[in-house]
Amino acid sequence: MLSLKTIATQIKTWFPAPIVYAHCDGPCGVYDPAAARIAAEAVLSMTKKILELQPPDGGDPKAMAAYENTITRYVQIKEEQAQLAKKELLVLWTDYFKPVHLEQFPDLHTQFWNVAKLCSACKVEVSLQHANELMDAIEEIQKMFWATKNRMDVPWYKAS
Amino acid sequence: MSQIRNSTFLDVLLWLLRQRQRFRVEGVSMLPLLLSGEEVLVDRRAYRRSLPAIKDLVVIRTPDQPNLWLIKRVISTRQDGACFVQGDNLFQSTDSRVFGWVEPPLILGRVTSRFL
Repeated sequence: MLSLKTIATQIKTWFPAPIVYAHCDGPCGVYDPAAARIAAEAVLSMTKKILELQPPDGGDPKAMAAYENTITRYVQIKEEQAQLAKKELLVLWTDYFKPVHLEQFPDLHTQFWNVAKLCSACKVEVSLQHANELMDAIEEIQKMFWATKNRMDVPWYKAS
Repeated sequence: MSQIRNSTFLDVLLWLLRQRQRFRVEGVSMLPLLLSGEEVLVDRRAYRRSLPAIKDLVVIRTPDQPNLWLIKRVISTRQDGACFVQGDNLFQSTDSRVFGWVEPPLILGRVTSRFL
């Protein structure tokens, strides 16, 4: 004879119940635009270093190899950190910000779209202008973020 | 910490008669009482004649996330039927400590038992 347990399992599989969340944001509600800011600072720093690095004179293969090695490392870090900045921003956008915040900041979606595009631009290009714009855009996101928590005491600061 | 009983034949019958609604729990805020993946039955008519009581398990919505059903425990009640709710797992729960009192229209019903 079919046990009640078997029937229950079948019911649960065939007719999935709506979900009720034993909810914990985040999982602990810890969000901070600082994560994106640190990544963007690395992008800015690498952009500066790439632009400043001088190729070696003459045809010294060792010097050329050292130059290419260094520039490759700068480029690689810039790519990674630009991608990381974008990921951190998208987490804030999709997980932290809620419809109620949209009422408070009607251009929230535009701001996040623009800042995500700046991350892409910084990844693709070597642009000091875009790297600085990215920092400015993240500063605006930080202001918006802390305003939603009624925290006006959080300063904008940079590690570098 | 209060327990939650398993469903009886009567509970299943009430569910079949649409007097109870099934929900699947997801998340950790009701540990150790409810594991993620367990199902519960909810009486949506529970608070038509009486107010929520302290220690009741309730399914609610919150003003800031109107698309989510949450399961929490009633910690305190007001005369007008609003509840202050918390998860049993206090260290991993987003609840009235964050979103404040839950007004009566946002309270769906009372959890009556586990579903099988």
